[in-house]
Amino acid sequence: MATAAPVLAVSGLRAYYQTSSFGVEREVRAVDDVSFEVGANEIYGLAGESSCGKTTLIKTIAAAIRPPLRVLAGSVVFNFGGKTVDVYDADQAEIDGLRWRHLSYIMQGSMNVLNPVRRVRASFVDFAFRHIDKPMPAFTDIVETHLKRLHLDPGVLDAYPHQLSGGMRQRVAIALATVCRPEFIIADEPTAALDVIVQNGVLAMIREVQREIGSSLIFVTHDLAVHANLCDRLGVMYAGRLVEEGRTAEIFSRPLHPYTVHLIGSLPRIGEVEPKKGLEGTPPSLADPPPGCRFHPRCPLAMEVCRTHVPPMATLESGRRVACFAAVPESQP
Amino acid sequence: MARVLFDLLRFNREFTAGIILLGFVVIFAGLSFVSPYPPNDSYVVPFDLPPSWTHLLGTTSRGQDLFWLLTFAIRNTLLFGLTVAVISRILSLTIGLIAGYAGGIVDRILMSINDTFIVLPLFPILVLFYFVMRDSMSWVLLALVMACLGWAYDARLIRSVSMSLRTREFTETSIFSGMPMRQILVQEHLPFVMPIVFSTTMNNINWSIGLEVTLSVLGFTDINTPTVGVLIYWANQHTALVAGVWWWIFFPVALVIITFIGLFLLAVSMNEFIDPRSRLSRIGN
Repeated sequence: MATAAPVLAVSGLRAYYQTSSFGVEREVRAVDDVSFEVGANEIYGLAGESSCGKTTLIKTIAAAIRPPLRVLAGSVVFNFGGKTVDVYDADQAEIDGLRWRHLSYIMQGSMNVLNPVRRVRASFVDFAFRHIDKPMPAFTDIVETHLKRLHLDPGVLDAYPHQLSGGMRQRVAIALATVCRPEFIIADEPTAALDVIVQNGVLAMIREVQREIGSSLIFVTHDLAVHANLCDRLGVMYAGRLVEEGRTAEIFSRPLHPYTVHLIGSLPRIGEVEPKKGLEGTPPSLADPPPGCRFHPRCPLAMEVCRTHVPPMATLESGRRVACFAAVPESQP
Repeated sequence: MARVLFDLLRFNREFTAGIILLGFVVIFAGLSFVSPYPPNDSYVVPFDLPPSWTHLLGTTSRGQDLFWLLTFAIRNTLLFGLTVAVISRILSLTIGLIAGYAGGIVDRILMSINDTFIVLPLFPILVLFYFVMRDSMSWVLLALVMACLGWAYDARLIRSVSMSLRTREFTETSIFSGMPMRQILVQEHLPFVMPIVFSTTMNNINWSIGLEVTLSVLGFTDINTPTVGVLIYWANQHTALVAGVWWWIFFPVALVIITFIGLFLLAVSMNEFIDPRSRLSRIGN
């Protein structure tokens, strides 16, 4: 639950990919006006289909962006034990000080974060050693204790990544990201390439680590089943915008935004016999999104106002938020 | 690495043959340290003697024992090849890794320099260089010049690998964890390109020795330092073949061919090791 002092506050964030070559300028609005907060000790899920800007959003939050991706507006403020850092208003040294120690990032395809030609131990030393102010023997102790806590054999340190299975590599990658006991963990589809059984084990491990360290977690995946299983709160993205946010159970039992309704309606249920109906059309190109609400060309509830006005994020009871004129008629201009 | 070398030695015939040939040449070059005659002294033995037990490879028309003279010559030639290889490897690694990693304007500047060196005609430049330098020409200087001309192809090769490494997850994670660029290149990317570097080193040594021999035979180098090429140059000056002193030409040429074949076999077997398909079968060892 979001408490009085959120660990992460994102407000009005706009991050566009801007390219210009041979006089042709293109702008892909991957993240447009996104605001949300993540409280202490909370697992926040980000859902949405592929190419809706999930990865761009968390890259921006982690300050791991490189041109052509640029942040045009908004702020990302972390609050670690009373010390606030605005990522886009801080110098590089301050951001470097945050990373790994306070903020860690399990990247997409993170089973490949281990350098294939070096032993796992070398990856731990390369990535984490600088962030733990301890001599090498103490560092090795910390790493081995941490691995044991995660039910991993410290022997993996002397293996090469190709000697480990995919699930094992994923666990090692998570151990690597959490070895400094960060207050904030960002996980981008850490279970994407795994089958459901291994996935379950990895999810259990992530939850265990999160509980044990007491850190906050942003968890990104398009797999709603995983969200239902893991997350305290859920944010649903569509075409670069956050369209709905609320507690996971509430969203699943009573989705408000028509996109969320269809997303959840698409999940198979036991005993269901009627074929599922898909939404017409495809998500819009983020280089040329439709005016007004970005969902209106596909929305069964679309009204005239949806074509011209962007629905504002309306806050309902119990912190539930939704951006839709149909769901919240009061928000219409 | 030691394990890989041992496996190659055991299972790869080309590699074994290459090591044996090259080992022979290196031991032969090592004998120069116990030579009874200084390399530049002439008329220390009777001249024009054919190979015999007292003079294993015969003597030259300048009264030198060819066996001992050849040990100096091959030592200098090998040192020359190694010097060129080491210096040009440093250049190509630095430029290739930086260009591939940095990309953008840095890449474009470095690669336009690189392409300039690729299209330069080497041989005329080296001959011109000799005519400009004349008496101050030494093999160290020649090695430096050839190293400066010999890095460009391999820098491009290394750049292409480095470009793909830049987009891998572990590079992203390295950047995220705050590793400086130098450390990413040396610790994360260098191990990837090392096999390529080994292989191209062999080719580079072959190339530089070949060019050095060519230049020396034509007399476009420092002809007072004995190298294999210089030996052949002097044999030609004394019309060794016409005079029937065939061993003066034959043994240096044979030795340089043995060196070439040895290095070539090493490069080929290294290539086989680098080939991902053959490497796949080694995974798990």
